[in-house]
Amino acid sequence: MNPHVTRRAMLKRLVVGAGGAAVANFGGLFNSQTIADEVRRSGKRCILLWANGGASQIDTFDMKPGQPTAGPFRPINTNLAGLQICEYLPRMARHADKLAVIRSMHTSEPDHPGGIYLMHTGYRPAVAVSHPELGAMTAKYCGSLDSDLPDFIRMGSTGNGGAGYLGPLYQPFGLDRNGRLSQFASSGSTPEAVRRRADLLRFVEESSAREHRAEPFQAHRLAQERAWRLQRTRNVFNIDQEWARARERYGDTGFGRNCFMARKLIEAGVAFVEVGQENYDSHADNFVCHKANMNILDPAWSGLLDDLHERGLLRNTLMIWMGEVGRTPGINNRVGRDHFVRGWTVVLAGGGVRGGTVYGATNPNGNGVRDNPVTEGDLFATIYTALGINPRVRHFVGTRPIWATPEGARVVREVLA
Amino acid sequence: MRLRPCAMVGLMALVAGPALLAAQEPPLRQRIDAELRAAWQREKLTPAPRADDAAFLRRIYLDLAGTIPSYEEAKQFLADTDADRRTKLIDKLLADPRFAAHQAQVWDLVFFGRNPPNGDATRKRDGFRKWLAEQFAKEVSYDRWVRGLLLAEEGDTGLFYVQYRSRIEETTVAVSRIFMGTQLQCARCHDHPYEPVTQRDFYGMAGFFARLTFSENAGGKQRRYTVGEKSTGEVLFSGSAKEQRPGKKGDPVKPKFLGGPPLDEPPLPKDFKEPKAPAKPLFSRKEKFVAWLTAPDNPYFTKAVANRVWAQFMGRGQVHPVDDLSDKNTPTHPELFQAMTRALAEHKRDLKWFIREIVNTDAYQLASTGKDADPLPPYYERARVRPLSAEEMVAALREGTGTNAANRLAGKPAPEGATSEYMARYFGEPTNGRGDFQASLQAHLFMNNSGNIRQMLYQRKGSLSDELAKSKAPWPDKVDRLFLTVLTRLPRPEERERFVAFLTSEPRADQLIQDAIWALVNCAEFRFNH
Amino acid sequence: MRSFIILTLVAGLAAAGDAPPFQCDKNTLAWSLPWEDDWVTAVAFAGPRTLVAGNEQGAILVWKLPEKVGDPAPLPVRTLDGHTNGITRLVVSPDGRWLVSASKDRTIRIWDMKAQSTDKATVIVDAKKREKAAKKAGMKELPKAPGATVLVQKADRVFAQHKDWILGLALAKDGKTVVSGDDGGQVYVWSFDTAKVEREWKVKGWVFALALSPTTSQALISERIPLVFDSDRHAAVKIWDAAAIKVERDLSPAFKGEFFETAAFAPDGKLLAIGRAGETEKGKIVLLDPATGKKVRELAGHRGGCNDMTFSADGQRLISCGRDTLVRIWNPADGKQVAELGKSRGGQFKDVLHAVSLSPDQRWVAAADMAGMVQVWRCEAK
Repeated sequence: MNPHVTRRAMLKRLVVGAGGAAVANFGGLFNSQTIADEVRRSGKRCILLWANGGASQIDTFDMKPGQPTAGPFRPINTNLAGLQICEYLPRMARHADKLAVIRSMHTSEPDHPGGIYLMHTGYRPAVAVSHPELGAMTAKYCGSLDSDLPDFIRMGSTGNGGAGYLGPLYQPFGLDRNGRLSQFASSGSTPEAVRRRADLLRFVEESSAREHRAEPFQAHRLAQERAWRLQRTRNVFNIDQEWARARERYGDTGFGRNCFMARKLIEAGVAFVEVGQENYDSHADNFVCHKANMNILDPAWSGLLDDLHERGLLRNTLMIWMGEVGRTPGINNRVGRDHFVRGWTVVLAGGGVRGGTVYGATNPNGNGVRDNPVTEGDLFATIYTALGINPRVRHFVGTRPIWATPEGARVVREVLA
Repeated sequence: MRLRPCAMVGLMALVAGPALLAAQEPPLRQRIDAELRAAWQREKLTPAPRADDAAFLRRIYLDLAGTIPSYEEAKQFLADTDADRRTKLIDKLLADPRFAAHQAQVWDLVFFGRNPPNGDATRKRDGFRKWLAEQFAKEVSYDRWVRGLLLAEEGDTGLFYVQYRSRIEETTVAVSRIFMGTQLQCARCHDHPYEPVTQRDFYGMAGFFARLTFSENAGGKQRRYTVGEKSTGEVLFSGSAKEQRPGKKGDPVKPKFLGGPPLDEPPLPKDFKEPKAPAKPLFSRKEKFVAWLTAPDNPYFTKAVANRVWAQFMGRGQVHPVDDLSDKNTPTHPELFQAMTRALAEHKRDLKWFIREIVNTDAYQLASTGKDADPLPPYYERARVRPLSAEEMVAALREGTGTNAANRLAGKPAPEGATSEYMARYFGEPTNGRGDFQASLQAHLFMNNSGNIRQMLYQRKGSLSDELAKSKAPWPDKVDRLFLTVLTRLPRPEERERFVAFLTSEPRADQLIQDAIWALVNCAEFRFNH
Repeated sequence: MRSFIILTLVAGLAAAGDAPPFQCDKNTLAWSLPWEDDWVTAVAFAGPRTLVAGNEQGAILVWKLPEKVGDPAPLPVRTLDGHTNGITRLVVSPDGRWLVSASKDRTIRIWDMKAQSTDKATVIVDAKKREKAAKKAGMKELPKAPGATVLVQKADRVFAQHKDWILGLALAKDGKTVVSGDDGGQVYVWSFDTAKVEREWKVKGWVFALALSPTTSQALISERIPLVFDSDRHAAVKIWDAAAIKVERDLSPAFKGEFFETAAFAPDGKLLAIGRAGETEKGKIVLLDPATGKKVRELAGHRGGCNDMTFSADGQRLISCGRDTLVRIWNPADGKQVAELGKSRGGQFKDVLHAVSLSPDQRWVAAADMAGMVQVWRCEAK
């Protein structure tokens, strides 16, 4: 039996099965299929560099020299006239013309679990609805169910929302800390043996599918198909040899390596890759924390920008750098900065973004937004627009309609190309 | 045979008891079926046929014992021709020690979830689960064991509070959600937008927990705490979240029962000084709260547990989700809901009685198959489909692969490494938080490829692969045994044919047998309780 | 090797003989010198009553302390102008004439404490107090005058080879050689007189604590890359042969994952003290035998990390400070704490005492306080 044909046949049947029912669980899995098809053709991709714990805007992209809360870092000039960033981001300073820096984020979840959810979904956590992460949404509208690779891959510390109401098809697929396939990704058996038992399992499923048609059964079968398809992509994840050459560009760190892996995955057609960087939550010793982090971030991020650019991938790949919160202008007696959501920074680059933009401003001491506040909803509406996804695309949770971004979310056109 | 007088009296009472009750009101199981049938007629729904014996067998084992039946148990039940065989099996399982252990596991997850806060102290809960299992084994009524749990004076019961420790707002939210089916978290920061619950109501409830103390016990690997209570301390209320300013001091709020009166509290003696490590307070707020909560006339308590246990077996709460019993969230079958709450109260909140009634209904015993995709039919016209919990997966795998049998023969369990930890990680939270199943790629990879699963398939004396390899029976019989052991049913003719062909496709069947078991434990039918 | 140690021992005794022994039976807080602009991060005595302190902005002030406790608190008399970012360490030459300052501005400056200057400036050290008073009085502008009039002095020479923050600084006992290390892991050995690099090497992490043995033969360097969870975290404690530039003892395995911010050799070179930094609850000082690298004993007591320490001239006492806002005085011979200066400020998180210094006459102890002041204690016998 040709496994590929079987898979396609199976998919087809499952689609009909799921589409025919008045479903609650998959939230109208295919009711936006036409839109999804259209976006898919555009080939948009997205990479999220996640600053876990919340990076300090004052110590990176919104410096306040001369203010009592400036801290010990000094600003340097960038290749964009008028924009200064932290001295510990020297390579990124040479890419400022590719960036859109939003300095006026004003968000509504000041703590980690809520903030991580908020900045991955655009919504505050709610008991009644679990919202999909940006990665799941991108996977749905920019990914391809036919792809052998998962559409939503992540490494390191990342989101906590999962696919939410979009359903199991768009669940994130985690690589291990070092960007490698998990230890269970392969059986160690011969391909012949693997195919033999796979055929038997497919037979069992086809037989039982005649009786058992509830969604969970279908979800289980689909996930199994994806597990098999993943086996065909193993070489994508094997980057040891290439890494030896790339490490200089990306910096010889775990995060750098994961950023390189992100480039490989984007190149292989994965719609959404998230790479988490740890340790921004510097309630104590903020400056040494941030210095160490920037030493890792600067080469990795700039290396990724260069690499995508050289391969012509940057045009269609939106890059986002953000965490769940910013950090206070005030420095506490632990030499730390605490969580701050009333004026912080998110940086966009690449596909759909107008490079060399600085949008919004905090007031001189950084204690709040002075111009053009941007909420989490606004940011997600902007990101979705950049990716060609309608920010008001509607899904259903049971009978309840729900939109990709909250009502009133405003697209920040100024940062879009 | 001559009966002695005293035995006569006993017998008469046995006969008279149910008869007398029946005269007043039909058993709850009949009431349930009658109400559900009426709703199907109203909604023009055709119920699914009755589940066949095999489907019922697997379902009831998983629901009551937390595992699947052994090959022998399955064979025996399917050969049974007694008209009351299902009821008898239910009675047998309700008396099985596995019932108590399984209920303890279910409730432990209700109380802690997969990642409880204060993990250092709450991650390992063997003692807590043991205590819970004892309550079920000794048939302690729900109100009595909840009382024990919330007084937190025996065994590891304090762990429930320990997860939140001094964050009494969290304690308040959890207690009202779990035991009262009431969502209070909105009222934490502002008056509830849709419900008549104010922020003061919230802090009034929080006041009952404001005096709990947690003293860390020295020694031992795991952090442990003793829960105590002080005679002083108030919860401070400082207005809505919007009005919060640094340094703003709140006003003390007196404890008040939700929807009830304020707590009548004696004043402290003059010049009272709180002792350093109070064992018992002069006046215990905790005891007052627990007494109020578990009292027969508490407006929330019995309703909440009736709904939760109903959902445990029927899939969906009559109020859904189970912990949101608000006025706007009406039950699907209001009269039935009222009746079963009342009946549970009349039976002194005996959960085993309640469960017995539910699983003896025709509705519980319907088939889950059919063309509809909704795994939790709102009118219970089909049986629900639910994923096995991580613990049920482990138990079912051990039973279905003959690992249990092999262990019994060997006299000791085979080392299983981190199987349970992996299962908890990959299968621990199989839903999106709203109860909807989500299949994960990682879970499949673990089931497909891990050594942990593979070693259950190996030939060990007594294991399923060993039994099949050594058996001299004809292949079709062996395939029957394979299906009955793993999936608790016999193969369909085409399945039998295909598996026989598969197993005889090579001269040596050893590896093929393992592959066949692999296919069955990886299929969707194994993954769900259906 | 052995004869070497005996020689140092003799030298050590001789040095100790110059000053009366340090006594701390009776300790009096003499003055809390306000300097409220920013955190005070470094402190040193340049002479018996010449007190120097640096702050997070890179300013350095000099005070002349009065004769005795009870005299009015002095105002600063001099400012050392040049650094543009936080002062990390202050070291004084053995003869008391020269001050060496390391900074986050990536320079090390050498100041002649006897230099004349005519430039004057006004400094206000109690800005916050004034702000409070002004607020109370409903004034919009802060009352500026009177401040303290101070002489403005420039550095005699600048060492500008470092490319990152300099947290490691040590001056040889002979006053001829400086060793310094930065957050890029770069270590320089350079001439005090000419500021010329003599030797250099690189360590993997950021140089955190750096100390030189009295003979200048050994250098203790502790390293860090302070990430909490990542694989990129790095901690190391090593004794280097400072002449041959090779690791003499790698003590890291004994202190896995622990960061040491401060290190000091005893004057006789027989003990090496290292102090654990950060928010650890197990703040501790470890005494080592520098010849073998073996642990001699641990001084447990600081709640929160230990930031700085110094031996008394006779080596009989070790004075340390840390994140618990306390100066603690230890007997290194038995590891017992013998005195405590200051009060713990309480609260979940306390302010930091960044640095501590003992006057050459062994009578005064000064601490650089994050709360915007320099505390000075008089320490004496019963």
